Amino acid sequence: MSALEASGPVTQTCKEGGRQQSSGSIKFGELIILGYNGHLVSGDKGRRRSKFILRKKSVANGVKPFKKHIVKNPQASQAVQNCQQHSVSYTLSRNQAVVVVYTRDEDTDMFQIGRSSENPIDFVVMDTIPGNQRSAGDNVAQSTISRFACRILVDRNPPYTARVYAAGFDSSSNIFLGEKAVKWYAGEEIDGLTTNGVFIMHPQGGFSSSSKPGVWREVSVGGSVYPLRDSRSAPLKNNQIVDEDNILHDGTLIDLCGATLLWRSALGLISSPSEQEFAKLVGTMNAGRPQCPVGLMTLVLPHKRGTLGVVDKQPFVYLKCGHVHGHHEWGQKEDNSRTCPICLTDGPFIKLQMGCELSLCVDSALPSYCFSPCGHMASENTVRFWCQVSVPHGSQGFRALCPFCACPLDSYPGFLKLIFQDHTD
Amino acid sequence: MALKRITKELADLGRDPPAQCSAGPVGDDLFHWQATIMGPPESPYTGGVFFLTIHFPTDYPFKPPKVAFTTRIYHPNINSNGSICLDILRSQWSPALTISKVLLSICSLLTDPNPEDPLVPEIARVYKTDRPKYETTAKEWTSKYAM
Repeated sequence: MSALEASGPVTQTCKEGGRQQSSGSIKFGELIILGYNGHLVSGDKGRRRSKFILRKKSVANGVKPFKKHIVKNPQASQAVQNCQQHSVSYTLSRNQAVVVVYTRDEDTDMFQIGRSSENPIDFVVMDTIPGNQRSAGDNVAQSTISRFACRILVDRNPPYTARVYAAGFDSSSNIFLGEKAVKWYAGEEIDGLTTNGVFIMHPQGGFSSSSKPGVWREVSVGGSVYPLRDSRSAPLKNNQIVDEDNILHDGTLIDLCGATLLWRSALGLISSPSEQEFAKLVGTMNAGRPQCPVGLMTLVLPHKRGTLGVVDKQPFVYLKCGHVHGHHEWGQKEDNSRTCPICLTDGPFIKLQMGCELSLCVDSALPSYCFSPCGHMASENTVRFWCQVSVPHGSQGFRALCPFCACPLDSYPGFLKLIFQDHTD
Repeated sequence: MALKRITKELADLGRDPPAQCSAGPVGDDLFHWQATIMGPPESPYTGGVFFLTIHFPTDYPFKPPKVAFTTRIYHPNINSNGSICLDILRSQWSPALTISKVLLSICSLLTDPNPEDPLVPEIARVYKTDRPKYETTAKEWTSKYAM
């Protein structure tokens, strides 16, 4: 216990200092929750929002492992009781635990993510309900996201390397891995996995049109990388993958079991369009004066979220063929499908919506494609990228989803090219 | 929707009329039009001017317009009443079709009759068995009624 006493009560003013983010400070990157098109269903508020921007804190608040002790009862240990002292307790048995004491790290900033709205959580993330299942008063009855799910430490100096770790420190600056959690203590090494796990996936080739999805891995509390367990919370771990690490790359996905986050580095975001660029792209498409082949009225694509107030300018699409129309009732079948007036193909007829969360776009090309079945519009490369990304679902499943609404995509190809009747004048 | 759509079609026809065709309202009633088709050069109808009437249903374009020849014509798919046997005016109608496209389809029908689905079986029989006789008769009728 002497080491702990030697380090003494570390004065931790960083939490208070850290929360004060000035907008002028350096931006490390963004975390975007998949399934929200730029805003939560209930609106963005405080630490609960669809996207979290990580900026350099005015005072470093990172922590790093310092010393470990074996104790009988971690609850009674001073490191655990001291709210200013960060520590991770690994309960090995009823009467033995290893407590790893953490110390301040002047070179890193720490950002914590979880379901809890308690103070140590910077980014509050709740379970994502897919767009096709959302209703008026939607609240998840049972959440699978941990209250203190993960933490991200970013180097305060270039190149601002960011690393993700399973579990976050609670209000008492502790992480407890209970008796049932997967953990191991061999030689000098102590580490563990959280109940539902934190998964990461780096697309091969970065966040670009040419990249291919990588393999999902699990990160430990200590930041090591492991193959996925047989099922999400299975009590057995596999062997560590020593040649992979927990460094976030532009486009890395982080799955918290209930919500999936996309990491975009500040540098990588340059390839996504800015608001102005995007408005210009949509303006180009509207300049072609696309018209409804039936009503012959000019359709207008919105460049911001939501749909147009003017009903007869709202574009719709036939999902089987991609022909874009205004709203009308012709060709309705009993099974709710419709016949396209242009090509007479039967299929669903749905409202087009713009994919407005620009950080989810892999390039700045025209949003002339849409996801199926939800109708969110994006560029060809963007839809192709997301269609091949499988996101964890349930205890051992994976599925591709629309990044703008989290709706599971139709099987191959999951997207379509929009065919406008435009430039007719 | 009907009136708005008909008005739009009329404007489009004025700006970009299809080759060999014209169309417009007879009087103040926008639901009743008259159209003309010039006999296609590659057909025995060349040199003739054929008049048609167009009646739009109130639920146009969800129902097809009623189109009929008022000028007599010798053709396997057009009878003495001027009725036209053309799938897009019946079962294969689509609201994405316009009068402009319908008139162009009728032009194609004049160039390429469809004797397998005749409205006048006798003309279809002549067309299939004695093409020169069909050509001669069609030319005669064109000179007689359409010039």
